[in-house]
Amino acid sequence: MKQWKRFTSAALAAMMAVSLTACGGSQQTADTSAAKEGEANTATTAAGSNEAQSDVPEFKDLKVGEDYTDIKADLKFITQRTDLVDTTFKTYVEEFQKLYPNVTITYEGITNYAEDMITRLSTGDWGDICMIPMQVKKSDLGTYFLRFGAKDELEKSYIMLNDKSFENDVYGIPSVGSAQGVVYNKKVFEAAGITELPKTPDEFLDALQKIKDNTDAIPLYTNFAAGWTMTAWDAYISGSATGDADFKNIDLVHGKDPFTKRDDMTGPYAVYYTLYEAVARGLTEDDPTTTDWEGSKPKINNGEIATMVLGSWAVTQMQEAGDHPEDIGYMTFPITVDGKQYATASPDYNYAINVNSSADNKIASMLYVKWLTEDSNFAYDQGGIPIVAGAEYPDIYKAFDGVELVINNPAPAGEDNLFNDINTDSEIGIESSADTVSKIVEAAITGSPTLDEIMANWNAKWTASQEKFGAIQ
Amino acid sequence: MGEKTKPQNKFSQLIKWLQKGKVNRWLVIITFMLIPVLLLLVFTYIPFGKMIGFSFYNMGYVGTREYVGLQNYIDVFKRDDCFKALRLSVYYIGASFIQLALALYFASILSTKIRGGSFFKGFMFFPYLICGIAVGFIFKFFYTRGFVLDTILSWFGFNLENLPYWLRDTKINNISVAATSVWRYMGQNMVLFIGAIMSVDSTMYEAAAIDGANEWQKFRYIVFPSIKTIIVLNMILSITGSLSAFEPPYVITRGNFGTATYFVVMNTLAHDNMKVGLASAMAVILLVIILFATVLQKLFFRYFFGEGEEEAIRDKRRRKKRLAEAAARKGGVS
Repeated sequence: MKQWKRFTSAALAAMMAVSLTACGGSQQTADTSAAKEGEANTATTAAGSNEAQSDVPEFKDLKVGEDYTDIKADLKFITQRTDLVDTTFKTYVEEFQKLYPNVTITYEGITNYAEDMITRLSTGDWGDICMIPMQVKKSDLGTYFLRFGAKDELEKSYIMLNDKSFENDVYGIPSVGSAQGVVYNKKVFEAAGITELPKTPDEFLDALQKIKDNTDAIPLYTNFAAGWTMTAWDAYISGSATGDADFKNIDLVHGKDPFTKRDDMTGPYAVYYTLYEAVARGLTEDDPTTTDWEGSKPKINNGEIATMVLGSWAVTQMQEAGDHPEDIGYMTFPITVDGKQYATASPDYNYAINVNSSADNKIASMLYVKWLTEDSNFAYDQGGIPIVAGAEYPDIYKAFDGVELVINNPAPAGEDNLFNDINTDSEIGIESSADTVSKIVEAAITGSPTLDEIMANWNAKWTASQEKFGAIQ
Repeated sequence: MGEKTKPQNKFSQLIKWLQKGKVNRWLVIITFMLIPVLLLLVFTYIPFGKMIGFSFYNMGYVGTREYVGLQNYIDVFKRDDCFKALRLSVYYIGASFIQLALALYFASILSTKIRGGSFFKGFMFFPYLICGIAVGFIFKFFYTRGFVLDTILSWFGFNLENLPYWLRDTKINNISVAATSVWRYMGQNMVLFIGAIMSVDSTMYEAAAIDGANEWQKFRYIVFPSIKTIIVLNMILSITGSLSAFEPPYVITRGNFGTATYFVVMNTLAHDNMKVGLASAMAVILLVIILFATVLQKLFFRYFFGEGEEEAIRDKRRRKKRLAEAAARKGGVS
């Protein structure tokens, strides 16, 4: 069997290598011809600098619907939202063409976006607008993408720009933002007699207990088997649990024993305490090993599941999964810091424009991106947080009124990799590995080790790595 | 003119040289070997060599590498999760014995002419054709509480309350997972056995029947010795496969609840924690273990069952001893 496997995989790999080189070849020729067309831009690309701006106006000064209304361009837009290409995006293009009749926009959806896009990027001739793949390093952004402007200027009108900026230069405008909270079924909460949304871990656990006692619903569905749903818990330990935008990149990295229990039940411990106790008290599904992600969506929709701890992106999916979209609610993670609630927030994929496109294409792309951000209603259609500063939240975030969104600050200069280094070396794998959080669920079921023991173990591993990389003395 | 004929001469000389038996043979060997050897080198041995190189570095997939010598190997032995995981192989080795016994059983039944034989053969071989990931998903639903397995058991009077959680209960979940590989590979082993049994000379059966041998004796003294080689081969493949079990635990339980085999641990280290160097060292150590296990098995089989046409070493020694004893007795009498 082994030999067979080896042989087939070798044969497959060979085939793939051949087809890859073939693709690479044709793309390269396309690349050079494209480069010849946009003569003016090639020089600037090579330099990878921002001086290309000379023939392109500033993003912040563009007035959609007033400037360049006669511009002619054929734009290609590559997106990860394959589900919207033939529906929502089509109507957007039609809307946009009312203002700019000579601009055509072709959408291309890629299913395996993150990996496919990164290879396409390297060819240079991939299109005009795309969503920045996660793997592109901040320092490389300028090599591939057009600079939108200075961060301190743009921050006056948009939020969440940190993610795809490098040294005050903004290369990506987030399509939409999301906040971390808890998806819940309002009807089940009502039936269980919960009138006020829980605000602390213990209140939350009491609420789950009430649901268990008074209804047939599963109080908290962990979606354990999917794996990434366990990693999702890590997102709450920074902003939601501390209200501190510097927690992830400063306190967690430099602080001593960050996983220790705090008396006011905040911080990472409180988040994992919620999970551990919910499982230990039997407030989760019977058998976590056989949970089913697709199956869980209609279940929360029709009230068989009461809560799921997931980012706000999940809300629309849960609403669309059944006949009761109005029952789906979204609340903040039940942690209160000094009487105030916070929620970790982060941008989704960022729009970016090809630095190799012709000047006209760049201008048209900028206009479209600006239109998408400010006038398209994309955030409301998708139930996300609008990127325009000061804009009103969609209905689903009603429970977030008065909740402060915390967007993690970037790591201080020179420490870009420090969090990652400690995180991987210690094998805690915050937001990268499902393994450690899964172990919490396992421990809660079998009863050993206790949460305090687990957290002590995490602290020990974390401290050892902090010392190794010189993060603490 | 002389100048012109010279190259022609050389050319025909070359042709003649090529047509020479020995050269021709080498030429054929080289041309036929070139592509497979090249593929083997490029996709197996060079990457493997690279991996051995990686195992001496502290490195991730990206970023800087740091030479650390044997530190990774020392870490593998120091960590408690690596070798603990190897203990799970016992479950898979146990499963592979059951799998081989079942395969042999079905093969000996299905190699005789029975009604619907090819249907059953196809039926049992079919699981092998399903991709391992799909098999994982099938069994995930199979073991889900109240789903397939529980339903079937409830037909036989089992109460759902008394049934364990097949994948959660740490006492049995490894057995549940290992059982899936029995289901998957049994048919393939069976087909190999059937092939071997078919190639046994049918006159042997006739001779045995005339001598009055029963079915068990036929199996023990005709079939078994004739397919010894293929049994040994299947056994070695199954056991080495057990040591590197990956797909079932990875897909069905993601290695949770104590089902993380050596490979799953390796995968977590390399892809979640970006410790590629350490994972490479684990791979090299596993290779050494597998080589060792294979050699051990080979020696074991040579001693007890013999190899190919050769007699088992144990039998040879016994006979020698007996002969010696007989000779000694004879000597004593005279």
